[in-house]
Amino acid sequence: MSFETTGSGPGMAVLNFCRPAVQPIVAVLIATIVGGLLVLALGENPIEVYGLLISGSLVGVPNLLVTLQMMTPLLFTGLAVAISFRAGLWNIGAEGQMLVGALFAGVVGYAFPMPWFLHLPLAILAGFVGGGLWSAIPALLRVYLGVNELVVCLMLNPIALLLTGFFATHVFKAPGPTNKLPDIAPSAALPTFSVYSQVNAGIFIALACCIIFAIINVRTVRGFEWKIMGLSPRFAYYGGINVPRRAIWVMILSGGIAGLAGAEQVLGQYGAFYDNFSPGYGFDGIAVAMLANFNPIGVIVAAFLFGALNGGSGVLQMMTGLSKYLVQVLQFITVLVLAAQFSWDWLILRLFPEPPPKSPDAVEPVNATPTEA
Amino acid sequence: MDLEILNSAVRISTPLVFAAMGGLLTYQAGMLNIALDGFMIVAAFTAVATAYFTGSLELALLAAILASMLLAALMAMFNIKFRAHIFIAGTAVTFLAYGLTALLLKGVLGQDGVFTSDRIPTFPVIHLPVIENIPIIGEIFSGHTILVYVAYVFVPIVAWTLYQTKWGLQLRVVGEAPEAAAAAGINVDWVKFQAMLLSGLFCGFAGAYLSLAYVSLFANKMTNERGLIALAAIFFARGNPYLTAMVAILFGTATALSVRLPQVTGLAPQLLQLIPYVVTVLALVLVGWRTTRARSRHSAWRFDIG
Repeated sequence: MSFETTGSGPGMAVLNFCRPAVQPIVAVLIATIVGGLLVLALGENPIEVYGLLISGSLVGVPNLLVTLQMMTPLLFTGLAVAISFRAGLWNIGAEGQMLVGALFAGVVGYAFPMPWFLHLPLAILAGFVGGGLWSAIPALLRVYLGVNELVVCLMLNPIALLLTGFFATHVFKAPGPTNKLPDIAPSAALPTFSVYSQVNAGIFIALACCIIFAIINVRTVRGFEWKIMGLSPRFAYYGGINVPRRAIWVMILSGGIAGLAGAEQVLGQYGAFYDNFSPGYGFDGIAVAMLANFNPIGVIVAAFLFGALNGGSGVLQMMTGLSKYLVQVLQFITVLVLAAQFSWDWLILRLFPEPPPKSPDAVEPVNATPTEA
Repeated sequence: MDLEILNSAVRISTPLVFAAMGGLLTYQAGMLNIALDGFMIVAAFTAVATAYFTGSLELALLAAILASMLLAALMAMFNIKFRAHIFIAGTAVTFLAYGLTALLLKGVLGQDGVFTSDRIPTFPVIHLPVIENIPIIGEIFSGHTILVYVAYVFVPIVAWTLYQTKWGLQLRVVGEAPEAAAAAGINVDWVKFQAMLLSGLFCGFAGAYLSLAYVSLFANKMTNERGLIALAAIFFARGNPYLTAMVAILFGTATALSVRLPQVTGLAPQLLQLIPYVVTVLALVLVGWRTTRARSRHSAWRFDIG
């Protein structure tokens, strides 16, 4: 999280205006440079490699559709993480919530046949409920027993993977060698548009969620309360916000949206719940949320960028001797750089050596630790 | 119980004990280092690559430890100097490490997913002279590689360092009350940095053990969340070295059973693999419940949770 630095001078003014975008762009640039050096060290031409990543993800309708397909789960998980991080709750359990949501959607999708106008919404809702229930565990433990939600989320991720795996292999297993649930009924399937990729109506749900939360964040009291909670839970508490209650609901909403990612995967992309289907969308969601600076509209941009990287990585793997994991490296270098809070103010001090005069009523950064002084 | 299961439990627990000792030092220094898996995977890869190219086990172990400590230094720099949130930095470092090792596996060793070769030397098995001949104990404790014994020797060393030396005291003060430590003239950031580096050292051992002694290959994500299990052990034992090691061994035994038991009973392996995580969550709940009851029922919402 960054804090506004007040300053004078035209340079500062421009920088302050662009600040929300400067931080992510610089981080992506740093990741690109470090990644380029890495590519160079592995004996490939970085410009060629980045060219392939771009052409493999954005040029041509099929490639673009694959990018949109890759982007959809990231929209959900990125939004889920962004909502909770913005409210100061470190929900890093999106992976587990997504898996549980996927299982719920998968079970409702195959076990209860009914007309599509009931079935599809119910299956999606089941995904939301599954994710929400899973995230309610850390939320309730945090609020009522003071247990660190981060650690619980961390432990619940493998628990979710193993439990859903247990259900897929021992309880609802479809006949055949694959560890999966039976295929969902056609009435629960999210419609797809093209033979080139599995992109489906889920992407519209995801975009709608992002826009809804963007409006909630700026236009409603709740959104404001979440922001205050994230900036300073103490201030929020003494200001009369029911922090524990809000915390529970933010976590449940966040988990529910992560669960929608699972529902989209099951109902749109795979057509059944497969054991261990996720390549880590929940963790990629952390990267998306960080790059978006917890802004729902930013999530759309960040998810598109990382979706494109993931889409292009397949082409990269085919055309060069590099592994598709280059993309993961780029992604998490970006996160690491973005996580560094201090460096931005340090950078500004470097660019503008005169420290900006502090106005007397300037609010001290709440997260600053005493050792910093 | 089958002695062979206990024998394999000792081997399976070894990386857990190493990683747990590494995580324990950062835990005591007030940092929740969730990048243990990342440190281990980098070490495992470096060990295999070095062993493949040089044929030397000593060099491979050294390189693994150095690589792991380098990553730990990066993590420490971002967390301590740049004030990155430790969980975000930890997640980023872990996935960076997963990606980087997969990338280098393809780029340097030319393989996708798994790399193995008969040119990779493995650690020889040691037969303990006297213990070997004791009926049950010999079968469990003899016939392991040197790293197994090193792991278990580290436990009392870590305990002694933490509770009997000045440095250990400083480390614990830094973890308990950083402000008080700073006021007492301790360089808080430097102590934290050292703890993180040592965490890297132990994970270096764990990674080298995984890829050169436990098996003789490298596979993507081969740490298989062992770092997380080690972390679970630390939380369960609340940072006590001996207890942490014991819990790590218990969790290792559960894992060993999950490999063998399904063939015997037909039980789902997932249910045994769940044990470390579920037990840890339950332990956290219990601790939380006790402390909540101990506090006033109407006390304010707790903001800062360690």
